[in-house]
Amino acid sequence: MKKSLIKFYLFIVIILLSCDKDYLEEPKPTGTINSDAVFKSKESAEALISGILRLSRISYEKTDSAGLYSIFFARVVKGNDLILGNGWYLFDYENDNREPTYRRTTFTWEFPFTIINQINIFIDGVNNSEYLLDSEKQPLLGQAFALRAFYYFQLAMEFQHTFSFDPSLPAPPIYKEPANEGKAMSSLTELYNFILEDLNYAVQFTPETRINKSYVNRSVAFAISARVHQVMGNWQEAASMANNAKQGFEFNASEFKEGFDDMSNSEWIWAMPQQLDQSNYFDIAPHSFTDINSDGYGLAYWNRDFVALFSDTDVRNTFTNQFEGEEETRYNTWASTKFKFAFTSDIPIIRSVEMHLIEAEAKARLGDETEAANLLFELQKNRDVNAIPSGNIGELLIDEILIERRKELYGEMGVEWYDAKRLRLGISRTGNHRIKSAANLEPDDKKFFLKIPQKEIDANYLIDNSVNIDR
Amino acid sequence: MKVAFYCIVISLFLIQSINAQVLVKGVISDETGIPLPGASIVEKGTVNGVSSDFDGNYMIEVPKGSTLEFSFIGYGKQTFLVGESTTFNVTLYPDNELEEVVVVAFGKQTKETIVGSVAVISSESINKQSATTITQAIQGSIPGINIINPGGIPGTNPTIRIRGIGSINAEASPLIIVDGAPFNGNLNSIAQEQVASISVLKDASSTSLYGSRGANGVIIISTKSGTKSTETSISLSSSYGSSSIATPMHRLLDINRYTEYFWEGYRNRELYENNNSPELAATLASDNLVSSLGYNPYGVDQPVNKEGKLVASPMWNTDWKKTIINENAYKVQHGISVSGGAEKTSFYFGSNYLREEGQVKTTYFERVATRLKVDTQVRELIETGLNISYTSSKQNSPNQSGSAFSNSIQWIYSLPSYYPIYRRNNNGELITQNGKDFILDYGGNNLQTVNGVRPAFSGENAYGAIINNQILNRNNYISLNGYLKFKLLENLNFNSQFAYENATVDNFRFDNNEFGAAATVDGRVSQSRNFFTTKNAIQTISFEKNLGAHSIKTDAIFETYEFEENLMSAQGTGFLPNINVLSGSTSPESVGGSINKERLLSIIGRINYSFNRKFILEGSFRRDGSSKFSRETRWGSFFSVGGSWVLSNESFIKNVDWINNLKLKASYGELGNNRGVGFFPYLQVFETGFSQLNKPGILSLEFVDPNLSWEKTALTNIGVEFSFFENRINGSVEYYNKESIDLIYDQPLALSTGNEVVKTNVGAVKNSGLEFSFDTNVLKQDSFELNLGLNFSFDKNEITELTQDEFIDGNKKWQVGKSLFEFFMPKSAGVDFRDGYQMWFKDIVTDQGVRTGEQIKTKEYSEATRYYTGKSSIPSFVGGFSINSSFKNFDLSALFNFSFGSYIYDSVYASLMNGFERAGRQGHPDLEKRWQNPGDLTDVPLFLNGQNDFNSESTRFLFKNDYIRLRGLNIGYNLSENLIDKLNLEKFRIFFQGDNIFTYQSHRGIDPEQALSGLTDNRSHQMKTYSLGINLQL
Repeated sequence: MKKSLIKFYLFIVIILLSCDKDYLEEPKPTGTINSDAVFKSKESAEALISGILRLSRISYEKTDSAGLYSIFFARVVKGNDLILGNGWYLFDYENDNREPTYRRTTFTWEFPFTIINQINIFIDGVNNSEYLLDSEKQPLLGQAFALRAFYYFQLAMEFQHTFSFDPSLPAPPIYKEPANEGKAMSSLTELYNFILEDLNYAVQFTPETRINKSYVNRSVAFAISARVHQVMGNWQEAASMANNAKQGFEFNASEFKEGFDDMSNSEWIWAMPQQLDQSNYFDIAPHSFTDINSDGYGLAYWNRDFVALFSDTDVRNTFTNQFEGEEETRYNTWASTKFKFAFTSDIPIIRSVEMHLIEAEAKARLGDETEAANLLFELQKNRDVNAIPSGNIGELLIDEILIERRKELYGEMGVEWYDAKRLRLGISRTGNHRIKSAANLEPDDKKFFLKIPQKEIDANYLIDNSVNIDR
Repeated sequence: MKVAFYCIVISLFLIQSINAQVLVKGVISDETGIPLPGASIVEKGTVNGVSSDFDGNYMIEVPKGSTLEFSFIGYGKQTFLVGESTTFNVTLYPDNELEEVVVVAFGKQTKETIVGSVAVISSESINKQSATTITQAIQGSIPGINIINPGGIPGTNPTIRIRGIGSINAEASPLIIVDGAPFNGNLNSIAQEQVASISVLKDASSTSLYGSRGANGVIIISTKSGTKSTETSISLSSSYGSSSIATPMHRLLDINRYTEYFWEGYRNRELYENNNSPELAATLASDNLVSSLGYNPYGVDQPVNKEGKLVASPMWNTDWKKTIINENAYKVQHGISVSGGAEKTSFYFGSNYLREEGQVKTTYFERVATRLKVDTQVRELIETGLNISYTSSKQNSPNQSGSAFSNSIQWIYSLPSYYPIYRRNNNGELITQNGKDFILDYGGNNLQTVNGVRPAFSGENAYGAIINNQILNRNNYISLNGYLKFKLLENLNFNSQFAYENATVDNFRFDNNEFGAAATVDGRVSQSRNFFTTKNAIQTISFEKNLGAHSIKTDAIFETYEFEENLMSAQGTGFLPNINVLSGSTSPESVGGSINKERLLSIIGRINYSFNRKFILEGSFRRDGSSKFSRETRWGSFFSVGGSWVLSNESFIKNVDWINNLKLKASYGELGNNRGVGFFPYLQVFETGFSQLNKPGILSLEFVDPNLSWEKTALTNIGVEFSFFENRINGSVEYYNKESIDLIYDQPLALSTGNEVVKTNVGAVKNSGLEFSFDTNVLKQDSFELNLGLNFSFDKNEITELTQDEFIDGNKKWQVGKSLFEFFMPKSAGVDFRDGYQMWFKDIVTDQGVRTGEQIKTKEYSEATRYYTGKSSIPSFVGGFSINSSFKNFDLSALFNFSFGSYIYDSVYASLMNGFERAGRQGHPDLEKRWQNPGDLTDVPLFLNGQNDFNSESTRFLFKNDYIRLRGLNIGYNLSENLIDKLNLEKFRIFFQGDNIFTYQSHRGIDPEQALSGLTDNRSHQMKTYSLGINLQL
């Protein structure tokens, strides 16, 4: 009896000993990487850049709030050129989608800030890395600053009047590093200064080369700068940045026939790519919405007044009449084949033609009308073999450039809204629109920007409900 | 399946053995060893019997294999199977001493020695209802527990909260223990007829042995075992039932009303918003009706004239509800169990088959659950046993909650009858494929007007999703649970238990290659196959000693626990027709997989001391180390103390006739909660899987708190248990107070930080309540018996500490002194009779930012002030009552459960009341009360086809959600003994079972059981089932 008792005690002791302290140490995370490892080498740091770029097209919330392209397409449908059927983006089309609790408002705020936080984590990690050389840090930081400037620029555009209206107005808060406590609103002046600071670094240190066109290189940094200066009205800088940006990206109009779905086209400076295992499925805009011949939403048609601007020989005339021979009163008369929808379609962010036209506009505004007219005709000739120079000067020349921007960029980045906002013009609905004057935008209309989301106000102790008073 | 079943039955019938007579003898004595003269010894089922003599001796001749029954007045009966041994010295115990033995943490205790709060549901009450998931049987049976069965998919696990809600973002449900080991499988893998009892541990003294996992209560499920030295008993059961929706869904508009109403919405926009003349507004509405709705079921250009009246009749009027809902769902169940035991070995074998259909067509749950349990005395001092269970289940569950397009319930509530199921040509005629099959309409036909593009839900057809797609969940669950028990000394035992559990969960999803969302890519298969493995080892040394009036019982326990998940998934597209396995895919879309592990290391001690069976004291301690937290924060100590005073064993009460039992008890303890926070919640990491084309991509996960640690809960329990009037009235009353501190909470962060939340320990919440449980034997006569039971509890939830003034999270605002579940939202101020617009209240605030206390009405939703509504989503009063009765050969039992005082925010109703804000969305007949002309007094605003906030979140859609439900009604008839004997059976019972056959609810249109948060989510409803069945015992 005693003997067996001793044996059993030994047995228990063995069990107790076999589970030493390592028992709790052994489980380790798999599928995740800790911070130290990320900033140990250039390659692993670049993985975070790749992740951030992927985040820009991640099907974030819903079909109309899925990625960067959702912000752009919401701008597109606010204009006069596109007519939207009943469905996603409806309230953007009605220019009535800016209240603090609405999805558009929350998404357009949250999405850029989510990306900015990742960028700040990246900047912080690279700056503090003991492993990376300074010569490795600079190109990495250049990309990050360009991206941060780009997303802050979207916030500046979406949440206040344009810069030239009144630079002292409150603007979204500025985060230079990762934070878990909300900051107070900034001002448009502070925000634009911050954006320019980032861009100044980016145009100097971002490398020329890159993995593919979805990554940021110096051309992208120049292009973002060109847009920012264009909005601020810094025409000298806008002209030179735009000129720098377009270098090496030759005209190639073939995309209008091929469906704007391939970033290898030489005009594309920056793009969001897709492949079957990295698809946003039906969410991508404009393709899913403007291609009525595919399984996408196929909701969007084009204003007959806009279609009338194109000559028959213009390659950009991608419009077909759905009700040939009938009066053009139906909203769904004119469909376009500009964008071809597939789960693998690439989405353009910036093309060289836009840079070309920014340069033309800047030259015109700086008084160099000859150069401006030359630049304009250079493009017109490429798009339409029968094009002849208009001979316009002064305001007429500038108007012609703005129309050219619409004819070139329709569907892409919301050019009408963008120009109407920065130039403080309104937008009037004409032609065969479904929703007509009710959706008009007056010059400097408050409907050009959104209210501050309630969720931000609820969780940020430095922003209260008064931020939306009179907004 | 069925055939196999009856084969077993028949073969068991054929087993017959002819046994010789043997002479059995022995002594019968009481619990103190004093012989009992005149005790009766009877061969069961016969008249063969004798009595013991003055010294307790007896002698009887019986056939080998028969059962002997020993009885004596005032003492409990005992039975023995006559085997090899012919001597039975029997000890009989007084009736009240042989009382219920209750399964508690790491062992069993008699009811009398329990100082904590443990409630037990026996197998008899479990079997009076249908509990496809075993924990459903707790609903309405035990006070202090709030159970919600969300949705109508059979096999769905209920939400269970014991004594209020003590956790917010960490797991707030109780820990589940099955046969001593923590259970990580799906609860629906346990067949209800194989369960012997469910113990619900509610207070600290009963749960503290589970330390870091016990704070939210523990449910212990014990499966059936055989009994040594008993005759083998075989029982069979079968039932067949038919089910339909238990509570009605919301009512809906038909096509004609929908069309006219939509016209009105359009007209109103042109009239009031766009300031057109009434004539022009009406013209525009008539002109644009068809283009807005995208379809034209009326075939004429302007189906509605300028007066707003229909001028044509529709070519279809779709009844989506009827198309999608299964109005005659089938349910079938068969079970067999065999149990018994020889002198040293006992066994139980059970196998059960169930197939049950749900509310939405093609929804079903099918399960085969088998269990074998053997316990044996290997040597005099060594006992061992093994419990094996294997369950295989299959569940097809088309989406029926949430906001996916294919959610068939949302579909019913979203798509007007205006849109057809099958495609039509421009003349409105049905189109066929190959001249026979109709083609489902997916709402995206650009070049047609009769059957064009739907403004909402284009590219989908929920009926198509049900019949063409599959969402199939297959679970395989196996568990092996064995023990080895040594008797080291007379009073010292060592028990080593090891449990291994493996659940394989296969989720298969097929999206059709021809129709719906994946048609563009020729179909999609996504499949995940995950393994969940639990290994649990428990070593226990227990010591028990009685010294006169003192008795002491101690346990020292060492436990290790490991849980591992091994996940794998794959997704591919491009399938040929009729092929839906991954290898048929032409383009792989994604793959995924990961392995995560959690461990827990614990040392546990318990001591229970009892003096003269009057005073009982118990103390427990547990120290846990968890791999979920950082090295600095991972160890925690938990304890409890409790005591009871059995007044009825005191001499001054012992003589009071009508008091049979009276016990006061109290306990206090501190526990933890580490569940539901993921595997490594304290590590700030980057997640892989965000590749950009062929470059690997990572992203930083949300902010974490590196010092995150357990939630801690302090529980106090005070109670009294009583039995009066010869145990005819039994009951208990208990008060609890449960304060949880350092709550693990996803604290909302400013969106501009790029993080939505950070998981951290903040604040404290207190739950307190009173629980009552009564059971009365109203009538007990030879042929008629009636028992009534009632239990209920009042529970209160209060935030006692926050690290900041307040949080707003959705429609709840948290402040000290308020409930976690009180709704916080704008208050509806009705409809302006002048213009028909919805209004809300708004506080007047002075320029200095001071609230004057006055309120005005506003039509700007963004200006509306959000208020505490005084209404909570958790009930203040829940419980159940039961009736058990028998009359001659009939028996009847009914179990009701009820819930009062909770409110529900019915967002489904809100969306049906949208007033045609968007085209192509269904409406509710209540819309007929809308404002139409200045001066109309109504609470339904005008129809307005344009973005508005009329149906935005406000008290307009906050409803009281009280309900009483007849969960189970069981009426049975037992065949008379003569007949049974003739048939050579032990028992034959035929029964009717009704589940959920009656529901009273204060807010109709939904299932009253929704979610703790009080939000509806387009969920399917529970089913009411009528079944007929038989029980046979051989």
